[in-house]
Amino acid sequence: MLRFIKRKLAWSALKDRSYEFLFHDMGLDEVVSIDCETTGLNPRKDDIVSVGAVKITRNLIRTSAAFNVKVKPRKELTAESIKIHQITKSEVADGASIQSELPALLHFIGNRPLVGYWISFDVKMLNKEVFRMLGITLQNPTIDVCDMYYDRKYSKAPPGTKIDLRFAAILEDLQLPPLQAHDALNDAISTAQMYLALKDLKSRGAYLKRVRNRDAPALPVG
Amino acid sequence: MPQAFDVQNPPFDRLTYSEGEKLRSKLDIGYWGPGQTVIPQGGGAEHLHVIIKGAVEERDGDEPLAVLHAKDSFDAQALVQGMAGSAFVATEETLCYLVPKDVILDLIKANSGFAAFFYSELSRKLSDYAEQQGDGAGSVNNVLRARVRDTRLHEVCYIDGTASIKDAARMMEDYHNNTLFVKDGERIGIITGTNLSKSAVLMEMPLSTKVRDVAHFDIFAVDSDDFIFEALIKMTRHRVRRLAVVSGGQFVGTLEDIDILGLVAGNTQLIPGRIDRARSVADLEPAARDIQDQVARLHRQDVKVDVIAEITSELNRALFSKLFSFIAPPSIKEAGCLIVMGSEGRREQTVRTDQDNGLLLAHPVPEEDLAAFRRDFTAALERFDFPPCPGNIMVGNPQWSQTVDGFIQQLKSWVLTPDDLSAMNLGVFYDAVPVTGDPALLERAKSAMRNLMRGESAYLARFARAIDQFEEASASVLASIMATVGVGSDVIHIKRSGVFPIVHGVRVMSIDTGVIATSTMERIDALAAMSVIGEEFAGDLKSALAYFMELRLRSQLVAMRTGRQEEEAIVHIKELSSRERDLMREALKVTKKFREIVRSRYHLSAM
Repeated sequence: MLRFIKRKLAWSALKDRSYEFLFHDMGLDEVVSIDCETTGLNPRKDDIVSVGAVKITRNLIRTSAAFNVKVKPRKELTAESIKIHQITKSEVADGASIQSELPALLHFIGNRPLVGYWISFDVKMLNKEVFRMLGITLQNPTIDVCDMYYDRKYSKAPPGTKIDLRFAAILEDLQLPPLQAHDALNDAISTAQMYLALKDLKSRGAYLKRVRNRDAPALPVG
Repeated sequence: MPQAFDVQNPPFDRLTYSEGEKLRSKLDIGYWGPGQTVIPQGGGAEHLHVIIKGAVEERDGDEPLAVLHAKDSFDAQALVQGMAGSAFVATEETLCYLVPKDVILDLIKANSGFAAFFYSELSRKLSDYAEQQGDGAGSVNNVLRARVRDTRLHEVCYIDGTASIKDAARMMEDYHNNTLFVKDGERIGIITGTNLSKSAVLMEMPLSTKVRDVAHFDIFAVDSDDFIFEALIKMTRHRVRRLAVVSGGQFVGTLEDIDILGLVAGNTQLIPGRIDRARSVADLEPAARDIQDQVARLHRQDVKVDVIAEITSELNRALFSKLFSFIAPPSIKEAGCLIVMGSEGRREQTVRTDQDNGLLLAHPVPEEDLAAFRRDFTAALERFDFPPCPGNIMVGNPQWSQTVDGFIQQLKSWVLTPDDLSAMNLGVFYDAVPVTGDPALLERAKSAMRNLMRGESAYLARFARAIDQFEEASASVLASIMATVGVGSDVIHIKRSGVFPIVHGVRVMSIDTGVIATSTMERIDALAAMSVIGEEFAGDLKSALAYFMELRLRSQLVAMRTGRQEEEAIVHIKELSSRERDLMREALKVTKKFREIVRSRYHLSAM
């Protein structure tokens, strides 16, 4: 009920009616795996530097028609963030602004469910921009591969089990080939692979083996 | 998009840089859980699957045939014929790159190295051939869509399984047939000449051994209505060189890989006959054209470039000799020796680039005879599409058609004139061989030249200096190859950076040490035999030269096809596969080392 009301409110708040498609179920058997690289981890202060997204149709990852842009952040890149995603100031200097790339991204994702690693963070970052443009936030359902992984790995774990939800740890556990990390598109592709593998495990009712790990690091970071 | 796709992984290592990038941009990724069928038996496929991780079992019915792992790809047959011979089932969580069918078919058409992966060695020749016929799709299909019955099949001969292998050998001999069908009760098998010699010679089986003990009863067969293309796939898949051919349930013959080649290959043996039978200059014209055409054909058949050059030189000499007999007046026939020089003399010319020829006379002949000969001989060669020599080293030039005494004076003046033109003239002449007439005339002139130059280190040094002519270019190219490997739009001038420094350096050392051989390969051997250069280095040098000549020929053939003559000695690094780039780098390194040897031998740095 609450969800319905929120939707109604958003519908009437939509600034640009040509974006009504964001509310329509297109009846496609597709989801979109998405990843944003940002200047930092604080959605209020930090900005998007790049966005990568791929559509997943049933068991296929549509890498041939991927979405991949580097944009110019509103603020200067900090040394800290450059170290993580290796996008330097000069690379984004002539990049377009996120606002100018947003229409293409919104058309790309439509109302398809969004799949991501720690997807709530990416959605928060995007919503900041979507709100600025359309007066609404994204209506898409979200699927977090962390949750899917937790479900297949730790949901039956005895209390006290150390939990490792790091991106690299999930990749390794699922034996997925490592791509160069902290590239938005590569991360979106890796996430898409995680999604398909985990969905398959679930459909077969299979679980991932737990090894007694002694020293798993505390908690994930993007 | 996925940059992680490994284009170094065969068969993708055969793609050019731009083809690899194009392929990457078209890739999708597919996921299959354990037990899921990727391609059903008899099903078609819209993609070539390249395994990223996991395992896929190839099955015939329930029977597993093979397990494919990361980097393996499947299935060419499903892709091209639209019907997989076996099923492909994921046995683990499996991810595959999906290369769309259209992309693969385009690459097969565009890149013969890539196509080879699909249709084996033989079919590469077919697609090379088709590609060179010009219009892409149609011609590949034409060749591959010929039917098995369109080839010349070998007759079916039956032998009883209880006969001896000696009987089998006699039967093969009598019927000129290397393949016999063996009837052994209900079974039918095949025995080949190779089987016989293996059992008799290698395994020392007695000649009374029964045929059925050495025959194969697992016969691979095609229907006579099948496409050639299907026969090729079968040969590739089962690694056999011949197939039984069936029609209406009966064996009707055998098909060998060589027969398929026969569909497209020409016939080298025909040309000498045509030259022999010529009755006029006009009769020689088609033969002259055939010589040139067969260069491309032999190259398609994977004949090594030095062999192509040798065959071509042989035929050119026969052609020149015949032409001489038509054109030379009696006075010149009696007194003259026709010579060819430069690459033609070294037997290193494949695609005609120029004509280096000359005439030595034992004594003066009437001036009008000589003038007429010069004019007519040159005109005839032009008619045969031999490009004129840019340095004017031709019979038409009086310097190159005179009495041997006059010519020796000419040689002296070249030795004494230390300019580039003289050096080039002497170099080209040192490669001379006689074509027709008295060879002693040429030998006199050559030994005069050797005596003039042998041990003349100052002159030799000036002569040797030409190897550094293009040094700048090749040094920077070498550096850039080393640096990049993969990207960059650099080109290599293969003649300047590769062929010429080796040919010329070897020539200088040969003059210096009195080596008489004219081909560069033989000269290198002779230099190694005299320990002028090391044995091992001689081998490297020959490989490098052969590699450069091969690349040169390829560029020349491309230039001929595209009409871009200015590209005839150019190699685009980005169009080389990674393996070829490695070879190129090695070959350039050898060349560099050789320059240094020549330079230090003749103290070139001091000049």
